[in-house]
Amino acid sequence: MSVPDYMQCAEDHQTLLVVVQPVGIVSEENFFRIYKRISSVSQINVRDSQRVLYIRYRHHYPPENNEWGDFQTHRKVVGLITVTDCFSAKDWPQTFEKFHVQKEIYGSTLYDSRLFVFGLQGEIAEQPRTDVAFYPNYDECESVEKRIEDFIESLFIVLESKRLDRATDKSGDKIPLLCVPFEKKDFVGLDTDSRHYKKRCQGRMRKHVGDLCLQAGMLQDSLVHYHMSVELLRSVNDFLWLGAALEGLCSASVIYHYPGGTGGKTGARRPQGSSLPADAGNRHRPGALTTNGINADTSTEIGRAKNCLSPEDIIDKYKEAISYYSKYKNAGVIELEACVKAVRVLAIQKRSMEASEFLQNAVYINLRQLSEEEKIQRYSILSELYELIGFHRKSAFFKRVAAMQCVAPSIAEPGWRACYKLLLETLPGYSLSLDPKDFNKGTHRGWAAVQMRLLHELVYASRRMGNPALSVRHLSFLLQTMLDFLSDQEKKDVTQSLESYTSKCPGTMELLSLPDGLNLPPVPFTKLPIVRRVKLLNLPASLQPQKMKSLLGQNMSTKSPFIYSPIIAHNRGEERSKKIDFQWVQGDVCEVQLMVYNPMPFELRVENMGLLTSGVEFESLPAALSLPAESGLYPVTLVGVPRSTGQITINGYHTTVFGVFSDCLLDSLPGIKTNGSTVEVIPALPRLQISTSLPRSARTLQPASGDEISTNVSVQLYNGETQQLDIKLENIGTEPLEKLEVTSKILTTKEKLYGDFLSWKLEETLSQFPLQPGKTATFTVNIKVKLDFSCQENLLQDLNDDGISVSGLPLSSPFRQVVKPRVDSKPVNPPEGSKTGDFSHVKTLEAILNFKYSGGPGHVDGYYRNLSLGIHVEAEPSVFFTRVSTLPATSTRQCHLLLDVFNSTEHELTISAKNNEELILHAGECQRMAIQVDKFNFESFPESPAERTQFTNPKQLEEERQETRGLEINSKLDIHWNIISFESVEGILNQLVLEHLQLAPLQWGDHSFLSLNHVRVNEVPCSLLWAVYKSTYYESDLNKGVQPRKNDYFYFHSLLLTFHLKVYLVAYIGIDIAVWFFFLLSNECSVFLYEERTQHTALKSE
Amino acid sequence: MAVCIAVIAKENYPLYIRSIPAEHELKFHYTVHTSLDVVDEKVSAMGKALVDQRELYLGLLYPTEDYKVYGYVTNSKVKFVMVVDSSNTALRDNEIRSMFRKLHNSYTDVMCNPFYNPGDRIHSRAFDNMVTSMMVQGC
Repeated sequence: MSVPDYMQCAEDHQTLLVVVQPVGIVSEENFFRIYKRISSVSQINVRDSQRVLYIRYRHHYPPENNEWGDFQTHRKVVGLITVTDCFSAKDWPQTFEKFHVQKEIYGSTLYDSRLFVFGLQGEIAEQPRTDVAFYPNYDECESVEKRIEDFIESLFIVLESKRLDRATDKSGDKIPLLCVPFEKKDFVGLDTDSRHYKKRCQGRMRKHVGDLCLQAGMLQDSLVHYHMSVELLRSVNDFLWLGAALEGLCSASVIYHYPGGTGGKTGARRPQGSSLPADAGNRHRPGALTTNGINADTSTEIGRAKNCLSPEDIIDKYKEAISYYSKYKNAGVIELEACVKAVRVLAIQKRSMEASEFLQNAVYINLRQLSEEEKIQRYSILSELYELIGFHRKSAFFKRVAAMQCVAPSIAEPGWRACYKLLLETLPGYSLSLDPKDFNKGTHRGWAAVQMRLLHELVYASRRMGNPALSVRHLSFLLQTMLDFLSDQEKKDVTQSLESYTSKCPGTMELLSLPDGLNLPPVPFTKLPIVRRVKLLNLPASLQPQKMKSLLGQNMSTKSPFIYSPIIAHNRGEERSKKIDFQWVQGDVCEVQLMVYNPMPFELRVENMGLLTSGVEFESLPAALSLPAESGLYPVTLVGVPRSTGQITINGYHTTVFGVFSDCLLDSLPGIKTNGSTVEVIPALPRLQISTSLPRSARTLQPASGDEISTNVSVQLYNGETQQLDIKLENIGTEPLEKLEVTSKILTTKEKLYGDFLSWKLEETLSQFPLQPGKTATFTVNIKVKLDFSCQENLLQDLNDDGISVSGLPLSSPFRQVVKPRVDSKPVNPPEGSKTGDFSHVKTLEAILNFKYSGGPGHVDGYYRNLSLGIHVEAEPSVFFTRVSTLPATSTRQCHLLLDVFNSTEHELTISAKNNEELILHAGECQRMAIQVDKFNFESFPESPAERTQFTNPKQLEEERQETRGLEINSKLDIHWNIISFESVEGILNQLVLEHLQLAPLQWGDHSFLSLNHVRVNEVPCSLLWAVYKSTYYESDLNKGVQPRKNDYFYFHSLLLTFHLKVYLVAYIGIDIAVWFFFLLSNECSVFLYEERTQHTALKSE
Repeated sequence: MAVCIAVIAKENYPLYIRSIPAEHELKFHYTVHTSLDVVDEKVSAMGKALVDQRELYLGLLYPTEDYKVYGYVTNSKVKFVMVVDSSNTALRDNEIRSMFRKLHNSYTDVMCNPFYNPGDRIHSRAFDNMVTSMMVQGC
């Protein structure tokens, strides 16, 4: 006996073995239809008794196993049913012959046999036979079950007779020796008359009777016989049969203790038996005994309790039996089957540890050289049994071994499909699920080395199976989940093979269904590359939509009347976390920035990377990128265009890496940072592009500006110059541009600016509106630079700062008292921005032109866009008025205005004033020009009350008034300059403004005053004289040997001024007064003036 | 003497596993992995016993042809598994027991490290050295 039946279990000992076989050519389908119906009759209550007969059907049974039938009667084939097709009467004898041949195979053991003939009709079929049944075809055979029952009853009769025969045999003189096939030669020539031999015969026969009783449904009898047999055989050391007797005892006890069966196939095997309650079963058994009339007294109850083994004893006896079996090399199969049966019993008893010991033993039972198929079967069954006792890991191990056995190199046709199937079954044992979602929770914890091996095997098996989609899926899974455990070389190998597989079959995001119902979920490569942060980006500043102010009021988002409430604060926070406070615009390219990195030790090519969105029709524009090996965080911008409006949610992104397409959802990504993923898409707006006649400038405006500037232009202008800026407005969007508003904002500078820096006329441009897509309109802006033309502003300002009002100060006033204290204080805090010279200082002016525009559906919804143009002007100094004074003219209505003009440019320029000839100034030259002007009265200026009332602040009012006066003077004088060599600048003549030196002393009489940089000095001499005083004071300091302090602007200015004023005083006030004045102030000065006077007189005399 | 030493977390995943014939690493992975079935079984059988009376040493888990597998479980259900060459008959149960105790002490030291997160793989030089000493000793 060499073929173990791994499916055996203890209760099989009580079954009768019936072999059902086809004869001739019977289609497999038909045969199994009949086989199924036959095997449904698996237990029968015979002859109205309480005894139950169990039948075990086999369609295949090795005849050599049959030879062990005496050893354990359930191994004996007692019934044979043959199924055959026979369509004509002439075939019949042949068929019948075959049936007989078949009977011969199991002939020695058969109790009875049957032949089922299908298809034969006619006279042969008519004749009634007990051993043959005729059916017209496989569909019309209702009586099959009945036939089988009859058949079984006939088997029972034989069995019962044999049992009774053997049971009573003991009185007979000679008991034959039962033996197993391999024993036969051992007993040749043995003394058959010895007591030892007789005992052996008795013991074996007892055991055999026990088997028969068990089969005949007489459990108690069998127990008694087994016990007796054990006694007998133990005394003669007949170990093999002792083992068998012990096993029989165990089987009978198991059947008693576990009426549900141990094989795990109870439901199919004994539907009636299992439905019987246990106690009902117990009640029937005594009855079974009484019907036999052997032991009718109550002592059977006691005997039963004694004879039946306790559950613990069962295992002990099994152990003993197995140890006896193991003494015989030829009984390997018996030992193995006993182990399997014991394990099943232990599994029922939930004694896994002991079961594992039995299994461990079973592993080492060495049968003869097994065929590959048998090996697979053996490993599979071991795996199943381990599973049964809850050793899932061990089970998985053996299953894997079985799987590997399926494709062992020695097998001619490797069963990759079977291998793959078995491998899949091992997954739970290695706690590996094929769903990548289970791996999202932090670092992977498991038996990585073992799991990786398994995945590799799955990949290989699926590839050999010829299912590349599966191998791609498994390989992707391996790469995705085991990335942390792969070495660099392995990463390379895995990706290489993945690429080669995907070249044939690209990886998809579809669920792969296996034929056996297992689904393989898609594996998105969330780790290739790893995304750390997802950030939705606002549109560039020039394209950001803004809500119209007027509509904003009703759109207030706060539903609560409270500005803050702790109750709703939380909700708001949550909302904010998901929602973003900017909008995207339909039809405009929107961006999402991902911070990614590549964990691979080689360059990673990511193709077709795009966004996955929902809520709004979105056209994703995929990108391809290449990440360097083990790169740090690397920003990637994914773009797309929303095609409709509403709430858009960024759900994730898709990639194609190594030919595998993945959809990575943000929700399932661990450790990702995001600023929210939902944003509103508003209706389309036009897009405005501006281009200017001026060169673009790379420099940005001062950061303080706060606005984002899309374009910057820069221009260099001389002070007083005007330039025209042509702006081309082009609608590059798809919506008509309907509205346009232009505003300007001059960024705060230290420089005081006069007049309109930027001026424009919008009407002409607006006449071209609405601007259709692709159309262009022009818009002209004038840039005027009007800065201070005086070079002494610092000094004069200084006067102002000190708050010394010199207006109306009589010359004779005690001036020193006022002046004295400032000598100490002044140098301490020199005003800023006075490094000076000031002549060559380039001043910067900056302004922003804002274009607010709207149109299309976005306009309807109240959105507009803002485009800013930064204008950067470098104002270079042109001419300076270093000195100003007036001289009375011949007419009292007029006076001469004297100006010292300094040309600080590097070019020759001309100065002209109203009704004066041009004055040519060379570079760096200073000349005086005199202009005859009419005196006028400022008081006579009409003041527009409307404007004035706006300035409630008196100071503002004053400034305002001053400015108008300055402008008035300006228009009167109409001084302008022109650089001769420049063609381009010459048009800017009329704008030379003297705003900082508004010339006022046109009426020397009661209303004479000079406005010097906003300080009104009623008496020119006073202010000037004061300056003179100051300068001379310093001069005296110098003379006394006091070193001038560095950066003491005041000092240097004073020196300069002194010189000028000296000349001035001498020239215009009259030398005598000057002398007098200087005498008052300083002796040193007077010396100078004295010298001056003598010089002057000398000149006069000349 | 030990050929493989493994520390297994409560949730039955390896915290540490090392074996000396490095080329057979996977084999030992399998051995230790399957031995967990037995450990589980023994632990669940022990579960009913009083906590303070519990023996941490599980004894021989199962013998294979070439090796013997021993187990030890801490009170926090962290398992130690040691695979010993079965040819080494000099090794007594008591010695195995003391080796496990040493391993347990070393593991406790690892756990005391404030920079070690329970549940992470063990990367400790001290622990490594201890394991190495147990593997080399007597070989």
